[in-house]
Amino acid sequence: MRATPTVPRTSDHPDSATPSQAAPVVELRQLRKSFGDLEVLKGIDLAVRPGEHVVLFGPSGSGKSTVLRSINLLEPPTSGSLRFDGVEYGPGIPGEPQAAERGRPIDLRRNIGMVFQQFNLFPHLTALENVALPLRSVRGCKRPQAEHQAAEALRRVGLLERAAHYPRQLSGGQQQRVAIARALALDPQVMLFDEPTSALDPELVGGVLATMRELAETGMTMLIVTHELGFAREIGDLNVFMEDGQVVETGDREIYAGPTNPRTSAFLSAVL
Amino acid sequence: MPLANYDWGLIWDYRSDLLNGLLTALEVAVVALVLSLVCGMLLALLRMRAAPFSWIAAIYINVFRGIPALVTVIWVYFGVALAIDVKFSVFQAGVIALTLLYSAFLAEIFRSALEAIPKGQQEAGLALGMKPARVFFSVTLPQATKIAIPNVGNMFIGMVKDTSVFTVIGLLEVVRVTQNVVATTFQPFVLYTAAAALYVAVAFAIDFLFRLIERTMEAPPDGLLSRAVRGRRQRRIQALIDAETASPSASA
Ligand SMILES: Nc1ncnc2c1ncn2[C@@H]1O[C@H](COP(=O)(O)OP(=O)(O)O)[C@@H](O)[C@H]1O
Ligand SMILES: [Mg+2]
Repeated sequence: MRATPTVPRTSDHPDSATPSQAAPVVELRQLRKSFGDLEVLKGIDLAVRPGEHVVLFGPSGSGKSTVLRSINLLEPPTSGSLRFDGVEYGPGIPGEPQAAERGRPIDLRRNIGMVFQQFNLFPHLTALENVALPLRSVRGCKRPQAEHQAAEALRRVGLLERAAHYPRQLSGGQQQRVAIARALALDPQVMLFDEPTSALDPELVGGVLATMRELAETGMTMLIVTHELGFAREIGDLNVFMEDGQVVETGDREIYAGPTNPRTSAFLSAVL
Repeated sequence: MPLANYDWGLIWDYRSDLLNGLLTALEVAVVALVLSLVCGMLLALLRMRAAPFSWIAAIYINVFRGIPALVTVIWVYFGVALAIDVKFSVFQAGVIALTLLYSAFLAEIFRSALEAIPKGQQEAGLALGMKPARVFFSVTLPQATKIAIPNVGNMFIGMVKDTSVFTVIGLLEVVRVTQNVVATTFQPFVLYTAAAALYVAVAFAIDFLFRLIERTMEAPPDGLLSRAVRGRRQRRIQALIDAETASPSASA
C-alpha cells in the first residue's frame, strides 16, 4: 500500500508491474494551496516512487496544474508537506513539528524537469540554444560542451537535424519535443508534464506521446496531467482522479474501466 | 525681400561651426541615452515590485514626465548647483537634465516591454533551475529589448531635439551656434533652415539605425544584415549538427 492517509487506494490489486516499495521520490502530504480566498488544493496526499508513471486526470479547474506547479514550487504551497528525495520543501503541516531543515527551491528545480502545455520555448534562441542555455546556466558547462550535450538531447527526441531552427520555424509537436529535450538534458530525477499535447493539432499528438512513451520505457519517473486517457491507460502505473482540489480516487489501469467512485464514473463517462 | 537676397552659401561657409554644434548635441544625447537606459531599466524593475518600491518609481516617473526640458536644465544648472554647491559644466548639466527626464519615459517603455513577455517564459527558466537573475538576463531581457527598440529610437530622436533648449545655459549646440552666426550675418532664415535640416537628417539617421538594430534581432534572422551579424553563430550550429549527424552515438 502507498502512503495515502486520507484517501485509501481503492484498487487493492497487487502492484505487479510497478516499481515496488522503494521510498517515494516525491511525497505530498496534506498539501494546501489558496489564491487569496480561493482554496484550490484542499489537502493533497500523493506519493511517487522512483520509476513510477503517475497520471493526474480530472475536470478543468480541479487543481491538476497547481499540483504539478507546487511540486517544483512555481506555486509555493500555503501549507502541508512536500518532500523530494527525503528533503522537506513545504511550509509544513499545522500541528506537526516543523522540519529542522528546508531545501532551497533551486535545488529542487534542478532535479525536476517540467514540460508545459504551451511549450514555453525561448523564441529568440534556436532549438539547440534552448537546450544549451540551461546546461550552461545550471550545470555550468562551457559553450562547446553544452552544445554537444544539447545536440545529443535533441537526437534523443529525433530533432537533431532541426537544431538550428528557431521555435517559430517548428511545428507545435516539434516544439514540444524540443521542450522535452531541454528538460531531459539536465538529467532530472522526475519529469512533470502538464497537458503536453493539449495545445497541439490532432495529427501532431502522436509524435509527442511516442517521445513520452520512449522516455517512460527508460524508467524515468513521470507525473503526467493529460486528457489523453488512452495514453494514460497505457502508461499509468498510478492514476489519480482529482476534482475540486481533492484526490477523489486513485488506482491502477483498471480505474478507467471500472472506477469505484461515482464521481470518477461520471467524469469518465462524460469524456470517453 | 526677394529670394536673391538669401545667401545660401553661408551654410557652407559656417559648416564646421554648425557641424560642431551638432556633434556637441549628439554627444550630450548619446551619453544621456546610455545613462537613461540603465536608470530607466532600474526604475522599470522598481515600478514592477511590491508597494513601497513601486510607489517611489511611479512618483518619479510621473513627476519627470511632466517637467519641460527647459525647466529641468535651468533647475539643474542654476538651482541644484546652488543648492548643493557644485558647479556643473554646461555639458554635465545637459546630460543630467536629459537623463532625469528620459529615464522616466524609458522606464515606462521598458515596463510595458517586460510585461509583454509571457509569464511562461520566466516560469520555464525557473523550472529548469536557472537563477532568477540569469532568467532575466538570458530570457526576459533579450525579448523585451526587441520589443522596446523602436520606442527607444523615438526617445533618442526626442533627446537630440531637446538638446536645443540647452542654448539657455550656453551649451554650444546647434541652436546656440546658429544664433551666434545669425548675430554676425543677419540671415536667420537661411541659418535656421540649415539648423532644422540638421535635426531632420539626424532623425532620419537614428530611425534608420534603430530599424537596423531591430532587424538584426529577428528570430529567425531576416535579411542580409542579421545574417551577417549572426552568421557565425548559425554556421557553428550547423557544423555541430553535421558533425553529430555523422557520428551516431550510443544514446541514439
Ligand atoms: N495564479 C492563479 N491565481 C488565481 N487563481 C488561480 C491561479 N492559478 C489557478 N487558479 C485557479 O485554481 C483552480 C485550479 O486551477 P488549475 O490547477 O489550473 O486546474 P486544472 O489544471 O486542473 O485545470 C482554478 O479554479 C483556477 O482558476
Ligand atoms: Mg491545467
